[in-house]
Amino acid sequence: MAPASVTRLLQAGEGCGPDRDIIIPAVSEAAIAITAVTKAYAGHLAVNNLSLAVPRGSIFGLLGPNGAGKTTTLRMLMNVLGPDSGTIEILGRPADDSARDRIGYMPEERGLYPRMLLEDQLVFFAEMKGTPRVDARRRIPAWLERLGIEDKWRRRRVNELSKGMQQKAQFIASVLHDPEILILDEPMSGLDPVAADVMRGALLALSRQGKTLLLSSHQMETVERLCDRVALLDRGEKLLDGTVGDVKRSHGPNTVALAYEGDGSFLEGLPGVSRLTDHGQFAELRLAAGADPQEILRAVASRLRVRRFEILEPSLHDIFIEQVTRHGRAAA
Amino acid sequence: MRLFAIVRREYLERVRGRAFLIGTLLGPLLMAAFTIGPSALMAKQRGKPLRVAVLDASGTLRAGVEKALSERRIAGEPRFIVEPPGEGALEVVRASLTAAVLSGRIDGYLHLPPDALARGAAEYYGKNVSNVMDLGLLDKTVEDALTSFRLSGAGLPEARVQEVMRRLELKTIRISETGEREDEGGSFLLSMILLMTLYTTVAMWGGALMNSVIEEKTSRVVEVMLSSISASRLFAGKLLGVGAVGLTQLLVWAGFMAGLSLLGAQAAAVSGVKLPEIPLLVLVLFVVFFLLGYFLYGALYAAVGASVNSQQEAHSLAFPILMPLILAVMFFPMVLSSPDSKLSTVLSLVPFWTPLLMFLRVSALMPPAWQVGLSIALTLATTFALNWVAARIYRVGILMYGKRPTLREILKWIGKP
Repeated sequence: MAPASVTRLLQAGEGCGPDRDIIIPAVSEAAIAITAVTKAYAGHLAVNNLSLAVPRGSIFGLLGPNGAGKTTTLRMLMNVLGPDSGTIEILGRPADDSARDRIGYMPEERGLYPRMLLEDQLVFFAEMKGTPRVDARRRIPAWLERLGIEDKWRRRRVNELSKGMQQKAQFIASVLHDPEILILDEPMSGLDPVAADVMRGALLALSRQGKTLLLSSHQMETVERLCDRVALLDRGEKLLDGTVGDVKRSHGPNTVALAYEGDGSFLEGLPGVSRLTDHGQFAELRLAAGADPQEILRAVASRLRVRRFEILEPSLHDIFIEQVTRHGRAAA
Repeated sequence: MRLFAIVRREYLERVRGRAFLIGTLLGPLLMAAFTIGPSALMAKQRGKPLRVAVLDASGTLRAGVEKALSERRIAGEPRFIVEPPGEGALEVVRASLTAAVLSGRIDGYLHLPPDALARGAAEYYGKNVSNVMDLGLLDKTVEDALTSFRLSGAGLPEARVQEVMRRLELKTIRISETGEREDEGGSFLLSMILLMTLYTTVAMWGGALMNSVIEEKTSRVVEVMLSSISASRLFAGKLLGVGAVGLTQLLVWAGFMAGLSLLGAQAAAVSGVKLPEIPLLVLVLFVVFFLLGYFLYGALYAAVGASVNSQQEAHSLAFPILMPLILAVMFFPMVLSSPDSKLSTVLSLVPFWTPLLMFLRVSALMPPAWQVGLSIALTLATTFALNWVAARIYRVGILMYGKRPTLREILKWIGKP
């Protein structure tokens, strides 16, 4: 795909993330089906009775705080770990060694041989997935170009590459064998805004080719804009699962997005507001049950210069914090 | 196919590396320096001749003993410088000699008691009495002198005495299927060099395997690898890949040695030591025992590498692996002096020692074929068992981060499903 069309797609995708599931063709079979999976380490339940279906062709966001069980889940998908109980199916077949050749995997902790030449390294990883060396070598230049890595780096050692470039290299290593499913653990972390844009473009392009993408991330904004489905994990349990639109609709519209100038410290404790996320110039106010937004607007307008006042569904970020906090209290 | 890719990567990345080049080129030089060096130094740097005086209480022996001492030569150089004891009463002379020893004017003095000839007894007084080589020579020289006195005393003419006392020059000739060769200590030296080479390469490439495992673990590459290939195949690939590098190095050295023996004459002139020829069978067995040692100890090194989080943590765990190897090197003089004794046979059949000690026996005196065969079979069985255990430890260990596991925890991993 030419870079221009990637850019167009990005612009079109902005802001309409929640509704993208409409254009995804309905599929009967899930790309990944996790059924009642439990995994414990030495008395600690990492994943507890988890069931999850990732539809073919979707961009699926796996969310959760540290220790939620995301990495363990991904490792089980890759058959690096086996579940204690439950079943995992990849593309309709058990998650065995042959299934994982159809998956590309980028772990959270990047792993490249530091002293190996970039090209040799990429060829080696593709070979590990059963791709002939010549094919892998032929595909490399196009991928380097798409991710904006100059050709001169092809014959350099990995430890000479910048961190961002290493991350892009890791991404190429996970897609060079042309997998049907791509599992990416924190794909955007550590990327500067330009590189993150390039990465997002590459992910969208793959999605449009019909690949299934499963991302795990802390970056709610990325997930909200990119993914059509999300699941939220905490302490090994699933708290939420559904399309981004459904998840947000089930929580709103009960949020006010407020852009303002002035001293907003009084917003804390304002009657009718149950939760506040204040950024200084911008605040997200969760309305208490039965509160009237008009009264809040009047109260705010009398104290601040209001630049924008909008009644919205809550952001994924807010839903995430709320759900995890509530789950934490229930567990305690 | 993928196993081969891992072997190839492991092999090429190492063989292309600078460390391999330097190690392969400098290895033989260092080996030569460490093994030949000390003995050559000892031979060349015998130290200054010993300054000795003879304190004769018998009154008749001094001249003869002094003459024998000053005529004693090693490699054409006199070994003893005879100093006059001084005049006076016996006790006075003794006191002055003691003072001379303490002040360092002489190295020591020999006291011949009145009945030295009858009893065959004498005493040496010196500051340094640990120079066993020189004292042995002194002992022998004085003994010869006293024997000459007894022969003369028995009425033998002077010329006959000299004839009777002629010293023996023993040459050692090694008999092998290829013929007879004079040996000036070369066999001993060769056995030692080959043994040290085995010891070094087994420990070095085992260590390299351990570092390779640690590197993959700390750089987190292992997680990417495990999403493509099973842990046991990754383990096998690494073991074979690093082993192939070690084998390559040995083959380079073997070629180097073959070249050296072609230039045998020059080499002998340079080193001053005639290296005995190495039978082909010994060379083949050298490679076999290297491989056995590498795979046996490599399994242990890989297991340690998978259990730790860093090179630093690895050191304390890796040292116990070296212990059997070090013990084998310590048994070396004993086994070499009696290669076919019962003890040597038993020691060389213990799998952990077979790679070094059985090879040592092979290089010194070929043991019966059944012993060599049995030792190889036992070591192979042990190697397979250890690799099975190591692969199971590896499988769990490479995904464990955080605190260093205890030995107990590591052993528990073996039984994990």
